[in-house]
Amino acid sequence: MLIIALVLPLVLEDYLTVFATRVVILALFALSFDLVWGYAGIMSFGQALFFGSAGYGVALLARDLDITSILLVLPAGALIGLAFSLLLGGFLLLGRNPSSVIFVSLGTLTGSYAADRLARGWYYLGGQNGIPSISSMTLGGYEFSEGPVYYYLALAILVVVYLLCRFLVRSQFGLALAGLRENEARIAFFGYQTQHLKAIVFTVGGAIAGLAGSLYAFHEGFVWPNMVGVVVSTQVVLYVLFGGSGTLIGAVIGTAIIEGVSFWLSDNYRDIWPIILGVLLLLVIMFRPLGLISFVLGERERVGSFGVKAKEKRDAAS
Amino acid sequence: MASTFVAAFEILSFGAIIVLVVLGLGIIASMMGIFNFAQGEFVLLGAYVTYLAYSHGMPVWSGMVGAPFLVGAFGFVLEALIIRRFYATPIVAMLGTYALGLIIREVVRGLIGGFYLTVPEPIGGSIDIGTVHVSAWRFTIIVITLLVMGACYLLLSRTSFGLRVRATLENPALARASGISTPLIYGATFAFGAALAGLAGALIVPVFSLFADLGIRFLIQGFVAVMVGGVGSFIGPVAGAGVIGTLSAALPWIMSPVVADVLVFVLAIAFVKFRPQGLIAGKGV
Repeated sequence: MLIIALVLPLVLEDYLTVFATRVVILALFALSFDLVWGYAGIMSFGQALFFGSAGYGVALLARDLDITSILLVLPAGALIGLAFSLLLGGFLLLGRNPSSVIFVSLGTLTGSYAADRLARGWYYLGGQNGIPSISSMTLGGYEFSEGPVYYYLALAILVVVYLLCRFLVRSQFGLALAGLRENEARIAFFGYQTQHLKAIVFTVGGAIAGLAGSLYAFHEGFVWPNMVGVVVSTQVVLYVLFGGSGTLIGAVIGTAIIEGVSFWLSDNYRDIWPIILGVLLLLVIMFRPLGLISFVLGERERVGSFGVKAKEKRDAAS
Repeated sequence: MASTFVAAFEILSFGAIIVLVVLGLGIIASMMGIFNFAQGEFVLLGAYVTYLAYSHGMPVWSGMVGAPFLVGAFGFVLEALIIRRFYATPIVAMLGTYALGLIIREVVRGLIGGFYLTVPEPIGGSIDIGTVHVSAWRFTIIVITLLVMGACYLLLSRTSFGLRVRATLENPALARASGISTPLIYGATFAFGAALAGLAGALIVPVFSLFADLGIRFLIQGFVAVMVGGVGSFIGPVAGAGVIGTLSAALPWIMSPVVADVLVFVLAIAFVKFRPQGLIAGKGV
């Protein structure tokens, strides 16, 4: 898969490379949601809030302060995502009374919706039109514009983040997260601070979403209110559910399939594509709740196992 | 004096609209424990049925009468085919109903195109009270909302159907053991919630005109209202809807609309955080 991704720009035409870059960035975004929902079982229906606010943040940096250096804007994007998710996650998840799943999901959804309304109404943020024509990201004198170089940049970041996430979910911490998803009470009885675990993973997810958002803003060259809103928030949920939540690769595959098919169909069947997408999604939720990846991987893969012993056991079993 | 009265009327009529939309959502959330993301699309369907009746030359009010029954029947079928599978897991129910809503919304979008279609008010003109004029149709909506609220309350608290619904809500196992067909009750409750949404859509379409995203506009406000009011009773969501509707209509009169818009949501989430059981706690009617 990685090899295909590596040679892709060499065989694709230019406009397809631009599209592929977009898919890679969205896959990064999907990864952030997968970490939060697929592993820790926190339903974040407002993941776009962190994606979009980072996009707006770097767009403002570029517009008002003329800061476009990649060494500054990407960390800034991640930091904005981190700050917002810390704020929202800390408020929703921490506290004396543990919050219900429903409250967290509706709370994040409301946050994203409110941000959308704010971005639409606030003149400084460009209102309905958003912020157009953001200048390119730079490194020294070099400008990153759409094309193979940007593609490889995004791909490299995706791979690094993917590996980091993989390391994270295979660690003791990741095992505790999977436990949270499967049976929160039991993890609490083991002495874990479940609320803290949740807040941490929510914040990590927010930072990754922020990173993706800043990449996206510079790639597209503009940001607009939908980017923080409910539309994008639910889109990322679709990617992950479709591919398979609780496996990192599932999120990437889901993004690639949905975006790919939608791109392919949009020429001829633009109007009915959302309907098909809805039907497919409904079928997946009803009959394959673990996503398309569950055709290949078993349920045990999601729960995760830890340490040398577990690996030996797994080898013996197979 | 006159402008205060106009403001009060505006606030009241918007509050009534929110209550009307939330009634169905609240009944489904309280009685069945699932948050129905397709509720906004039931509102849209109600509006669409009214528009269809109007565009085929029938009087507008006939569409409005027909909408709740059609949408209710549609809800019943959906419940039996799809929603029924989701009761065990509320989050999956959210996603499943979201997918359903997406399908309905896009089908309607395909049918009407990207247009804003207008439907005339069945009762036009204005009512004069002293020197001020208020829209007769908005006034009618307030009256109908009050009637529907009263009827729902009586249905749930006084009739044997209401008793069965409440029994199924409080203890499904015991209700089954007592000979109540709980699947049928769930189906009927869902259909009832859908029918209320259909009625809401039919009544508000002359005010907001028909467009594909009509439902989404109210969905999140509805969720917030249900959370603020408290899940588990009939009165809770209605009270929440009253508060949210009044706030979102009243705040723009005293501050900038953008700030007011966001402030309502922030206040509501903060309120629910510190009082998770909502305004009115406890089960029952």
